[in-house]
This record gives sequence, structure tokens and C-alpha cells, in this order.
Amino acid sequence: MTALFILPIDVLVLFTVLTPFVGWLALRIKRKFLTGLFAAVGLILSGAALYNMYAGVSAGSPVLSAPYSPFSSFFRVDMLGFIMAAVFIGLGLAATVYSIGYMEKDTGLPLYYTLLLAMITGLVGVAFAADLFTLYVFWELMSVSSFVLVAFRKETWEPIEAGFKYLVMSAAASATLLFGLALLYGLTGTLNFEALASSPPTANAWLFITSIFILVGFGVKATIVPLHTWLPDAHSAAPTPISALLSGIVIETGVYALLRTYFTAFLSIQTQWFGILAVLSILTMTVGNLMALLQTDVKRLLAYSSIAQVGYMLVGLAVGTQAGLSVGLPSALPAGVETALTGTILHIINHALMKGVAFMCAGAIILRLESRNLGDMAGIARKMPITATLFAVSLFALVGMPPLNGFISELTLFTSTFQANVGWLGVAILLNSILSAGYYLRVLRTLIQPSMSEAVSKAKEAPAVMLIPLVLMVALIVLFGIYPQPVLKLAQQAAQELLRIRGS
Amino acid sequence: MIDLSYYLGFAFSLYAIGIYCLATKRNMIRLILGVEILVNAANLTFITFSAYAVPGFIDPLAHSIVIVSIGLAGSVSAVALTIIVYAYKHYGTLDVTELKRLKG
Repeated sequence: MTALFILPIDVLVLFTVLTPFVGWLALRIKRKFLTGLFAAVGLILSGAALYNMYAGVSAGSPVLSAPYSPFSSFFRVDMLGFIMAAVFIGLGLAATVYSIGYMEKDTGLPLYYTLLLAMITGLVGVAFAADLFTLYVFWELMSVSSFVLVAFRKETWEPIEAGFKYLVMSAAASATLLFGLALLYGLTGTLNFEALASSPPTANAWLFITSIFILVGFGVKATIVPLHTWLPDAHSAAPTPISALLSGIVIETGVYALLRTYFTAFLSIQTQWFGILAVLSILTMTVGNLMALLQTDVKRLLAYSSIAQVGYMLVGLAVGTQAGLSVGLPSALPAGVETALTGTILHIINHALMKGVAFMCAGAIILRLESRNLGDMAGIARKMPITATLFAVSLFALVGMPPLNGFISELTLFTSTFQANVGWLGVAILLNSILSAGYYLRVLRTLIQPSMSEAVSKAKEAPAVMLIPLVLMVALIVLFGIYPQPVLKLAQQAAQELLRIRGS
Repeated sequence: MIDLSYYLGFAFSLYAIGIYCLATKRNMIRLILGVEILVNAANLTFITFSAYAVPGFIDPLAHSIVIVSIGLAGSVSAVALTIIVYAYKHYGTLDVTELKRLKG
């Protein structure tokens, strides 16, 4: 039997289709948690299928999907795609288990888990896609399911409004992306990444126009300032597990897709993009951090800080475009390029962990207090010590404090800028990290404040089913901070493959 | 055969009309129509290039892409209309400027 797509995606599609039936049965026997459990099993099986590919992928031979599969979709799993898919499935699993506790009182859970699995399917498909149109199809699958998930609690006005705003911006961006793909197709006659990389289109004005369309298309999802305005609304209105997924992985797919396109189709005009991407990255991190300083809603604060973190990732992409200087001379790669891409990929992994934990801890507090206002949370650390400790670790990691994982990836990005002789970008990262400490530490200070409101003094610790995924993720945050070599090596291999694809 | 530039000019103006519609219209349904116009501009470009890449030969790849893309645009519209129905229930209006409680 041939696979429909490729095994990890097939498993996810199967579970996506089956979840409504299981959810209906679970409601009939009044065991609502079974739906979430079923979705979690699907993610674990998909993760196992993914792990089976590890040997081949790490040996440097990408896994290809079967030719002439029923849907003629084309996948190619290399190290970068493997890492991204592992992050997607991992954080997806954590959010699913967490949802069992968090969404307990909500109705429509079969729909919720179905959409959650559909979104993860789309994300994994984006990571595996070997041509831009397959990527686009899965991109839309991810987008459409995330629109509905943002507007999931449709009884109140806020999710509806945020969902509509997100939908219009994201759908317009997808259409812009499709227009860019059409132009790229016209220029080259193919949308396959390898074909684009082996014979990159020559630099001309049309290619530049195409790249603008594609940058805008991916940039809305990657929340590059000034295309970020949907994010704070959507992230704060969505149910918390979905905020964690949106912030931890959905916006990173934008960065991932930019990495893919800039190192295949736009090799010949990479260097022209360096200045623009550098300015955009500084703008993105500065606006994100400044806006986060002003927020009193804890989920909005974390949402703006995600924008700032995307700014750090873009620094890696901007420095990476210096590789375009050496097109045709594969031996003479400019210094710092490989380090910069390693830093970006590493920061995608680390940010998913850090922001996932931060959002879910905030969600646990919100669940108990039923308020998103930071001021209402004063003193909660005394009543929810475990949640507050986990929250604190993730916030320290987001600031970039050693020995946690955020430090490693920010240091990698910082070093790369000096290797590539664009130290001012590194200084921007440094200054922004200091700026970000201003609001992360304010959150911490509020949590441990001695005074307590009545609602806080009645709060109790979050249920175990929500804490278990958080504890595991915090363990990974600390592990990747103290012992980063294995994951650093994987990220480095992904960066090398991304660079090797050009010209070969 | 009509020159390629006419088709491209038309596609770009469709794109501009779509963006104009998104930027100026206040009715939520019209915003969705604006998105549809954008998608159609892209589809038209695909079809045009499929016929002009090699003279006398039409690339079926672009046509299959367009068929899938029409389906995707349809599903986006369906979700959008669902959200609009709920928004109408909450606000009693389709005017998007009334949906201003979020700061942005």
C-alpha cells in the first residue's frame, strides 16, 4: 500500500478524520477527556513515524515521498524539515495534553481537537513540502484551521473580532503569496525547491518584484513589522493552548518558509535583500519589545514578545543572505553565514519551548483567576508555586539568561553578526534583550508580590494534567541550556544542508 | 495571439483592485470579495504563464494548481462567512469599523 502523503502526515490525517467520531462516542459515554487522549495518541504515533526517518535524515540522505502518490503531492524530508516537524509535533502534543485540563468546561471538544490535529497536519506538511505549491496547500490547511481555532469561543465578542481580523489579513497574505508563486512559475517554469536551487533564476527586476510578493505573503504569518497587527489580538483572544501553538510554531513557519525560499529561488538577489531584512529585523524586535512594555494583559504581553523573538530569528536570515556573495564559489562561504542560520534554526526550536511554556503557565493562572490582567495576578506565586516556578524559568530563558536555552541561541546569533562584520545587528539583539528584561521581570515581580487579592487567595494549583507537559518542557529548556551540543549539531547540519543545496 | 503583457497588466490591476477593496470597504462581505479578487489575480497569472511558457503548449501543472487554489479559496470564504454570521449576531451590523474594541 502506498502512502497517501508521507507516513507522519498520513497518521495525522487519519486521526484528524477519526477524531469527530471518537469525540461523539466519548460524549455518549460521558468521558470527554477521551477525545483529547485520542488526539494525543495520534500525535505520539506520528512522532514515532517521524523518528523512524531520523537515521536516514541524519545520515544526510533526505527521505522522499513515493512517486505517483494518490494526490501527487511531493515531499522531501531533510534535516531542516525534520527539526521543524519534530518541534511542531512535540509542542502540538504538549498543547493537546494541556488542553485536556484547560478546555474541560468548553463544549464542542470534538471540533476543537479535530481542528488542532488539522493545524498540526498543515504545519508538518509545510515542513516537509518539496515544492512551493504543496507548501501553499498545507499552509492554507494550517491557516484555515487556525482561523476557526482563534474564533473558537464564539459566544463572546473578542474571539470573533480577532478571528475576523486574522482571517482577512492572513487570507490576503496567502493570495499575495499565490500571486508571487505565479510570477515565480512564470519566470522559471517550476516551483520545486531543488530545481529552483540548481538553476536559480537570474537576477532581474521581475525576480525582485516576485520576492516582494513572497516576502509579504510569508511575512504576515511571520509577523514582520509592519505586518504584525493581527497577532496580539488573535493570540490573546484564542484559547491558551492555541495561543501557545500560534506563538510557538505557527509564526515560525513564516520564518521557515522565508529560509526555504531565500536559499533556493532568490539566491541571485539575496545580497540585495540583506539591508531590507536587517532593517526589518531591527524594526520587528524593537516594536515588539516596546509594545510589550506597555501591556497590562499578560497574553498580549507574551504575544508582543513573540514579535520581538521573530526579530531575532530574522537577524539570522539577514546575515544568512550574505551567502549570496559566494554564489558559484561553494568553497568560499562568507564567515558567519552558517552560524547565523544555525542560530535561527536553534532559536525556532528554543522559542517554541520557551513561549509554549510561558503561554501555558499564563493560561493555568488565567484558568484559576478568570482574568488576563497582570495586576490581578499579584501574589499568585504563593498559591500556585509550581506554575509560577515553571513560568519564571521560561521567562528567564526568554530574557536570554544563562544557563537556559534562550541564551545559547541568542549567543549564536550574536556571534554570527560579528563574524559577518555586521556587528550593529548583534548590538541590536543585545540592546533588545536588555529591553525585554524590563517586562519579563515585571511579570515575575507581580507574581511574587506579597499582597494578595481575594480571588488570588482562593486560587489553587493547576491540575496535574496541565503541569506534566509543562514540567517536561521546562526540563528540556534547562537541558538545552546546559548541554546544547546535540541540538546545536542538528541545527548546524540543517543549516549546512540549506547552504549546500545551492549550486549543487 | 494576444501579447503576454496585456494579461499581466490585467492581473496586476485585478490585484490593485483587490487591495483597494480591502483598504477602503467597510462591509465585511466586501472585504471577503476583495480577498477573492486577489486570489483570482493569482489564478489568472498562473493560467497565463501556463500558455506562454512554451509556444503552442499548455502546461497542465498550472491548471491543476489553479483548480486546487479555487477550492482553497472557497474554503477560506466559507470560514469567513461563518465568522461574519457570528459577528452579525453579536453586533447587529456588517460594518467592520464597528468592530473596533480591540486595540490592534
